Amino acid sequence: MEMARVWPIVLEYGVGAFLCGIGVWYGLKSGFLDLKSGDGKRMLAVIIGGFLAMLALVCVFTFWLPFVPKGVAP
Amino acid sequence: MNETATQFLGQPIDYVVILAYFIGVVLFGMYFSRYTHSTKDFFFGGQRFAWWLIAFSGIATTVGSYSFVKYSDVGFKYGLSSTQSYLNDWFWMPILMLVWLPIIYYQRVTSVPEYFERRFGRPSRVAATCIVLTYLIAYIGVNLFTLGQVLESLLGWHVMVGAAVTAVAVTIYVVAGGQTSVIMTDLAQGVILLVVGIGVLLAGVWHFGGFGEFWGLLPETHKYAFSDLTSPPKFSALGIYMQDGVINTGAFVLMNQGMIMRFLSLKSVKDAQKMAVCWILVLAPLAAIATGGGGWIGRALFENGELETTSKEAFIRTAHFLCAPGIFGFVLAALTAALMSTADTLINAVSAVFVNDIWKPFVRPKDTDRQLLRVARMSSVVAAVIGLGFVLIYVVQYESIYQAHAMVTASIPAPMVVAVLLGVFWKRFTPAACFVTLVGGSVAMAISFIPSMADLLIGPLSFGMGPDSYKFMRALYGLIVCGALGVLVTLFTKPKTAAELKGLVTGTELDAMRQYKGGEVNRRPGKKARLRVAVDTTLSDDELCVVPQSALDTMAADPGDLLYVCDKRWWFGGLRSVHVKAGEPGPEDLVKLTPGALAVAHIRSGQDVTVEKIM
Repeated sequence: MEMARVWPIVLEYGVGAFLCGIGVWYGLKSGFLDLKSGDGKRMLAVIIGGFLAMLALVCVFTFWLPFVPKGVAP
Repeated sequence: MNETATQFLGQPIDYVVILAYFIGVVLFGMYFSRYTHSTKDFFFGGQRFAWWLIAFSGIATTVGSYSFVKYSDVGFKYGLSSTQSYLNDWFWMPILMLVWLPIIYYQRVTSVPEYFERRFGRPSRVAATCIVLTYLIAYIGVNLFTLGQVLESLLGWHVMVGAAVTAVAVTIYVVAGGQTSVIMTDLAQGVILLVVGIGVLLAGVWHFGGFGEFWGLLPETHKYAFSDLTSPPKFSALGIYMQDGVINTGAFVLMNQGMIMRFLSLKSVKDAQKMAVCWILVLAPLAAIATGGGGWIGRALFENGELETTSKEAFIRTAHFLCAPGIFGFVLAALTAALMSTADTLINAVSAVFVNDIWKPFVRPKDTDRQLLRVARMSSVVAAVIGLGFVLIYVVQYESIYQAHAMVTASIPAPMVVAVLLGVFWKRFTPAACFVTLVGGSVAMAISFIPSMADLLIGPLSFGMGPDSYKFMRALYGLIVCGALGVLVTLFTKPKTAAELKGLVTGTELDAMRQYKGGEVNRRPGKKARLRVAVDTTLSDDELCVVPQSALDTMAADPGDLLYVCDKRWWFGGLRSVHVKAGEPGPEDLVKLTPGALAVAHIRSGQDVTVEKIM
């Protein structure tokens, strides 16, 4: 595996996690994101789920699909 | 494929399709003029729409006329990594949904410069107004110019003719219906451009006999989600992320007046959050596929020896190769849709900034809403005319002016993004520091475009990628310089008091909610109630309604809470609806509204509606 292809994921999702963390932290601190309510829990789940879904997508197109041999349907 | 880019690729039937499309969009947009009676309607569509409708219209705004050409170009050259620009937006979502949106929505901020006045004072508002207006109008020009160029190469029209026809069409429906027309036409255009873009990809896959065959034809370097971290310099992952993922996306969610207005046209902050999730997680990836797919298929056709094309012509050539006459007309329509749906938003945004940040505070503060609406319509026309003026300049002095525009648009976002972020997250950030960040930051960015200075200022931040990467790494330079200016000046100047910042900085979102409602916030979870509408002429206020106690219980609402009454047919997307306040409960199983409220909602007495608690 070429690390030049891996570092972008580390960079983007590292900085991305930091940005997400800032938003969630200040949302909790202000009380606008209320984890006692169903809406608040859903919101947090969507934020984390969205992050992981995007991460999974780029991992598929970095670690698996580029290496599928020619003529084989992925 | 013997044609060159300067020859008309389509057939007469394609002319018919594109002409019908122009006429259809204008008539469709004009139809919604009946929903515009005030500046609130003209700029924010009455603040009544559902999340799904705005999500689709938002994606049409995001995809500009240049998007198909640009992303198919990089898709042809670099493969799937062309999607990077559309897939790096999620990281901004928590800041948008949990911090920035609640502040601007509940503070009833009508424009980005207005936030600057409330948070920092008038000098910062003036600076922000100049920056935003320059950015928006130049951007209208570049969109019109790009489409004019495409129409010239496809249909043989002169650039100015194509740009003028498009500008006239867009301006007609923007002037007539304002934001409501913009939203509804963008909804239709969003669907068209996604269907056409993804359709070209699927047609290509079908042409090759399946996804496996298509995938096998692509070079291995074209199958990755990202390009290498620092190569090639013109498309490195680091450069794209700094310029697009950090600055451009930050600007898009924090300072793009058009998108801010779209968020404010939603019926509630909760709907704005749903819209953002749908937009980023579902529609943006689809847009990435739609705009880049032509380039991927073009590359596979090229590798298979079936198509000769340059990367810049990849989308058009691929679409022409795959589409029958008439269908190709829809491809042209999708390109036009991409332009119109971006230009209409920008024209409406310029009008909002002009009315709210120049006319109202400085020219005629005592104008009635009716007079302001007239000014808003006239300023929309003027914005389109000035945008066309930019096209004229681009045509005459393409190289220098086009580069100048690139300089303006590339240098503007960084100071604004840094100023908004520091303003929202750092209470100590002072008005003087904000002004210096905006003005000094813009000057510092402009200096970085002088070639000899670029090596000195951006060179050390380019991670060895050289001058080809400066276009991207300028974003990092902007962040550092503007951030440093803001922090340094803050340390030596006086901040505003905590009382002055209520509702304007993070940590005070609940204060903003209280100000919005005019009382304590009710966040108890409730459900929608179904009721029949009746007229009540005895109600003292158009904003007041009467619902039965059972409905209040269903919604977990109390008298005084903000309610949203909407036509029960969901596919209207909130077009027929109104915000009201719950009065004391009534005995009948009806929701009673004044004739004025019914007129605003476009709902008739006796109709079934849903009623839900907003706050």
